[in-house]
Amino acid sequence: MRSLRGAIGPALIFLAGAGLFAAAGRLPVVPVPGQLGPDFWPRLVLIGLMASCVLKILEVARGREGGGEPAALLPLSRPKLAGGMALVLGYPALAPLLGFPLTTSFFLLAFMRLAGTRRPLPLLVTALLGTVALLYLFVKVVYLPLPKGAGVMEDFTIFLYRLLRIF
Amino acid sequence: MWETLANLAAGLAASLEPLNFLMILVGLAIGIVAGALPGITMLNSIVLVLPFTYLMEIVPSLLLMTSIYIGGVFGGSITGILFNIPGDPMNVPTTWEGYQLNKKGQVRLALGMAIMASAIGGFLSALILTFASPPFAKVALTFSTVEYFAVVVLGLASVVVIGQVSVAGALMSLFAGMFLGTVGTEAQYGITRFAFGIKFLETGIDFVTVLIGLFAIGEVLDQLSGSKAGAGGDAAAPSTSRARLPSPRQLWALRGSIVRGLGTGVVIGAIPGAGATVASFVSYGLEKQVSKEPERFGTGVLEGLTASETSVNASTGGAMIPLLTLGIPGSGATAVMMGAFLLHGVQPGPLLFSKSPHEVYTIFVGMLLANLIMIVMGLLAARSFAQLMKVPEPILAAFIITFCFIGAYALRNDMADVWLTMLFGVLGFFMRRYNLPIPPLILGVILGPLAEQYFLTSMVSYGNDVTVFFTRPVSAAVLLTSAGLLLWPALKGWLARRKALRV
Repeated sequence: MRSLRGAIGPALIFLAGAGLFAAAGRLPVVPVPGQLGPDFWPRLVLIGLMASCVLKILEVARGREGGGEPAALLPLSRPKLAGGMALVLGYPALAPLLGFPLTTSFFLLAFMRLAGTRRPLPLLVTALLGTVALLYLFVKVVYLPLPKGAGVMEDFTIFLYRLLRIF
Repeated sequence: MWETLANLAAGLAASLEPLNFLMILVGLAIGIVAGALPGITMLNSIVLVLPFTYLMEIVPSLLLMTSIYIGGVFGGSITGILFNIPGDPMNVPTTWEGYQLNKKGQVRLALGMAIMASAIGGFLSALILTFASPPFAKVALTFSTVEYFAVVVLGLASVVVIGQVSVAGALMSLFAGMFLGTVGTEAQYGITRFAFGIKFLETGIDFVTVLIGLFAIGEVLDQLSGSKAGAGGDAAAPSTSRARLPSPRQLWALRGSIVRGLGTGVVIGAIPGAGATVASFVSYGLEKQVSKEPERFGTGVLEGLTASETSVNASTGGAMIPLLTLGIPGSGATAVMMGAFLLHGVQPGPLLFSKSPHEVYTIFVGMLLANLIMIVMGLLAARSFAQLMKVPEPILAAFIITFCFIGAYALRNDMADVWLTMLFGVLGFFMRRYNLPIPPLILGVILGPLAEQYFLTSMVSYGNDVTVFFTRPVSAAVLLTSAGLLLWPALKGWLARRKALRV
């Protein structure tokens, strides 16, 4: 059963490789005499990818998988992982809407809370001061145009920047 | 020779300019601290300073990065010796012996030896880099795309074989990375490949997004979910964090370990894809092989600590050789440095020595200086590090992700790069979880497009005759070495089975 589980990943990657191999065949190639087409190299790489997947499946089937205990069998906190991934993916989703300062404050607060910081005051102070320090460093010093947000949130970010004398 | 010395003198003068010297100090401080903090690797910290270098000239940018590199590969040994928490995988062999020495009450000697071994290894490897690179670059100028392709293949082959647990897994990772390198508009025909109508994919996937995502975000998610032990360790607070430098007599007694560590570090560091982690394990293993008392290893043996620590810093000079002379980054750190070169419109490679000698020799002298200054910085860091270790991990993790956001966004001021970084972070978590090695994927993304370019150009030049790779001597020798590297694990297994059958 364990060996079957270990072969699922390589099998899925093999199938993806096969799909991409077929997609490479549909590239709008204009043949130039004496030259290899733009599909040649990706196809070569995908053949390598699929062959290595077969090797991996054989390795798993023979029970010769290196590395001792697979990490997948080690204990894992699913709620923390789900929360972490949601925050990591939510950060770039919200930043263009709410603006970098507000999203970053929320993100820092939520992530530190999720990672185990319990006391509310240090949480709040670290998140707010951390965001302000980052704004000074990257907007004022490095002139990086970090996302300001959309609509009313853009006005809010600009107000905040003026308040902090960033611009 | 005189030309080299004159260039070195000019490099010394440039390195001592206030901004350049400041960058060396700042870089060393960042490197040592970042290297020592679990969760922030030396590579991550080089990636994180990349946005700051946009506003600098190329020399201070590269001095900052090389100093972080030098300080970073050493930094992890401090926490390894003090708390049994190696800051980076490359510091694991040092931790095996150093922490045992700590438990025996010899923490000051262990720290002092680690500092001196690192400084000696790094300084001598920078000297080797200074004098070996120019002649190597002259030879490299005679290479055509055929030889370049062969060297890139060697880089790809070595990353698969050296230090990997599963060759099949490493190959999967490598080819996946090489495929990612084909996404976007290709150079020869101008045709967009594998963008599937997604606008930002048409310009390709920037390797920095892959690098930051897989390494930094993947690591944070891994630690957050609890599948990897974070900071904390099982050690009690150290009795003292002051280091005592070893006496000349103690150093002389360990000269064999230092020389072996230096040789291993420079050679392995110069192989594209190998790097400091492989160097540290190989030199530790070699030291155990040559020791008269191998059974004592793991109980606090200075020879093991010295060899591994020398090799880790010696690999920094070695890793710069393929970058500067061939334009091929041999490790993640040198890959980011290559990015800094390209950002400033300078192409690393054999022509670098004739086109930009000022920049090159300033970097060489900067590396020599950084290794000397590291003795003082290392002593200071060892003294004060017990305080820094108190930074709570949740705060560190949250700020790492925020820095990754900014680092990715700064590439093109485009949220698409941030999205890619975060998605690669999730991928990085699953790769760790399922024992798929990450470095081959990174090297695949970086070296894959180079391999394609050199291969296709060679084919155009030689009328699609693939035998050209085997009829030109340098190319044939390098490709043969690559084949040997790929076949070595299978051969080793066969030899071991034969030996077992005989017994």
